[in-house]
Amino acid sequence: MTSGRRPLSQRGRETLAGYLFVAPSVIGMFVFLVLPMIASLTISFFRVSGFGDYEFIGLDNYRTLLSDPVFASSLKTTGLFTLAFVPTLFTVSLCLALLVKKQRRGIGLLRSLFFAPNVVSLVVVGLVWQFLLTDHVGAVNRSLERMGLSGESWLGNPRYALFAVVVISVWFFMGYYMIIFLNGLQDIPSAYYEAARLDGAGRWRSFWNVTWPLLRPTSLFVLVMTTLTAIGAAGIFDLIYVMTKGGPDYSTQVVMFYIYQRAFQLNDFGYAAAMAAVVSFALMIIMFVMLRITKGGKVDA
Amino acid sequence: MSFWNLWGPAKGAGAAKPSDWFVTMAREWNARNRTKVELTYFSGNTYTNGSTLPTAFLADKGPDIFALSPGDFLRYANGGVLEDLTPYLTREAIDDFVDGALDTRTVDGKIYGLPLSLQPHAFYYGIDAWERSGLSEGDIPRTWDQFLSVAERLTTKKRFGLTLETTPGYLQNFCWYPFMWAGGADAVAPDGTSSAFREPGAVEALRFWQETIQRGVAPRRSLGTGSTDITANLLVDYCGIQHCGPYGASTLRSAAPHFAFGVFKQPVPPGGTYTTDVGGWAFVVNRRGRNPEAAARFVVWALGSMEESCVKRMADWCTVANSDMPPRKSVARLAEQRGYFEDPIMKYFHEEVVPGGRGEPRYPPNVYQPISEAIQACQLSGADPRARADRAADLIEDALATYEGARIF
Repeated sequence: MTSGRRPLSQRGRETLAGYLFVAPSVIGMFVFLVLPMIASLTISFFRVSGFGDYEFIGLDNYRTLLSDPVFASSLKTTGLFTLAFVPTLFTVSLCLALLVKKQRRGIGLLRSLFFAPNVVSLVVVGLVWQFLLTDHVGAVNRSLERMGLSGESWLGNPRYALFAVVVISVWFFMGYYMIIFLNGLQDIPSAYYEAARLDGAGRWRSFWNVTWPLLRPTSLFVLVMTTLTAIGAAGIFDLIYVMTKGGPDYSTQVVMFYIYQRAFQLNDFGYAAAMAAVVSFALMIIMFVMLRITKGGKVDA
Repeated sequence: MSFWNLWGPAKGAGAAKPSDWFVTMAREWNARNRTKVELTYFSGNTYTNGSTLPTAFLADKGPDIFALSPGDFLRYANGGVLEDLTPYLTREAIDDFVDGALDTRTVDGKIYGLPLSLQPHAFYYGIDAWERSGLSEGDIPRTWDQFLSVAERLTTKKRFGLTLETTPGYLQNFCWYPFMWAGGADAVAPDGTSSAFREPGAVEALRFWQETIQRGVAPRRSLGTGSTDITANLLVDYCGIQHCGPYGASTLRSAAPHFAFGVFKQPVPPGGTYTTDVGGWAFVVNRRGRNPEAAARFVVWALGSMEESCVKRMADWCTVANSDMPPRKSVARLAEQRGYFEDPIMKYFHEEVVPGGRGEPRYPPNVYQPISEAIQACQLSGADPRARADRAADLIEDALATYEGARIF
């Protein structure tokens, strides 16, 4: 009679190794992402003062949301920002990637220059741009005046502030997504381009018939990530917090900033959690629709 | 005991004297007491209007002692986290505080915070820019009309006549209130249940701020940390006139000893009455802290005892570490003995600016917010002041109808 467990098969050992490899990441995600999400969703059903009082109020926070004009206007601002930011960043990053794709002298320096803003702290970026965009005497306005154009208060006028934040955000993120596109472009076998050239396709035709369809998985990734960034990521929040505090006249009060204000300035944590839950749910729907439309980024056969 | 504050220990330009004062105070206490005080410094941006304090209290990890501004007082008082300091104070010490200095930190007769200093706001101007614009001392504005015309004369291609706060937040409201009060309006009427924001005084104050932007005499954005950052604006000639408390004088003198400046008090609208905002930080104690009793003793030892060392300490803060107005009569007397009020700027603050001043109001967030929205819309989007004042008054009254907590004023 023998006792003890049977030794694991080769396949079993590989499976166990696989689980062990992903365990740190899964545990980290569970502790730092899933648990806070559950906690946040839970407190959205409570009135939370921030001083230890929790009063269960059911769906009241969600009912308040429906008639909150500031929430509606912050959603509108977020929508405008997303519509301006995502296509612009996508186009600029792709153009930069195509520009620096070919190996030639100085290309490394060029790539580094485009990527450079992304290594700077967003707080520093915000402060530097504040100086550049100062009314009257900022470098941007002085340059415009030299060109015979009139300077504006780019961050102080509700008409332009959101546009300025979009431009600065694109400038900040473009290098990062350029690298992503560059990887996607380098994954496309050169044989396809040679075949297209033999068929008499010029650069434009090659782009539309080879690059564009084969870049679809990368494009989808960039679209998803930039949409997430525009709606829910901390990056945009940081810039707005440093540069405008949601002003002028609340024109840059995106929904994430409004959630922050309700929580930390108005001590309305339950209501802020309800808003966060609605925004997260909306993001999931947007992602689902995007994946359906793009068929999960699959390359056409 | 942890003590969160905005002054020390810190390094950097202008931080040395206030930081030394805090470090010395903690060292003196720690040398004589078993329960030690540990200072934790926060920059203004992360502390004021930031998430630092609310997050700590949400996690039940709030500091034992912390600095609190009147604008934020009700949030913490109504949250039930402030320790009553009254049992630790003597009657003599309470009476030693100047009239009104404790009002905004008092609930139902109980004192929950002790002010470090008084910071009434006035307007600073650079004498060189003033003279280069053909202005003299006789041109110091007393009315809003004069104020605008002086600002227009100071405005050039590179300089704005004056700067007023444009970023939404407690500071902007704080800077705007005296304009409203001067015309007899108020956010909350004396009965505490209705709003006096529909009064012409509030409408005209909104219109005046709007006009400064529309006429191009004020920027849509100030430099540095805002319209009270005096070295980032007035000193670099970005503006000719700037709003600031008495601490602006020591800030300017330490940054640029040769910069000549003057001060004038808040001009008034037609038929208006002079007033100003008197701000100032207070030390408060977390009732749920590790040792609230020891923390309360520390705060009273630091700012609220009749001991000679305490009076000297507070005078040092107002006259050496900073340039502020004393919150206590004994401190004012000592400052006077030191010749503090022989300085023309401090004399002016003491004799002209402080009298008629009003403590920074303590409004709950849902009263503060509609005012902020009205200021922003009128100042920066050119909205109709009458309509925005009515709308703000409606929202304030909605907030007051459901408000439960300490008296608002």
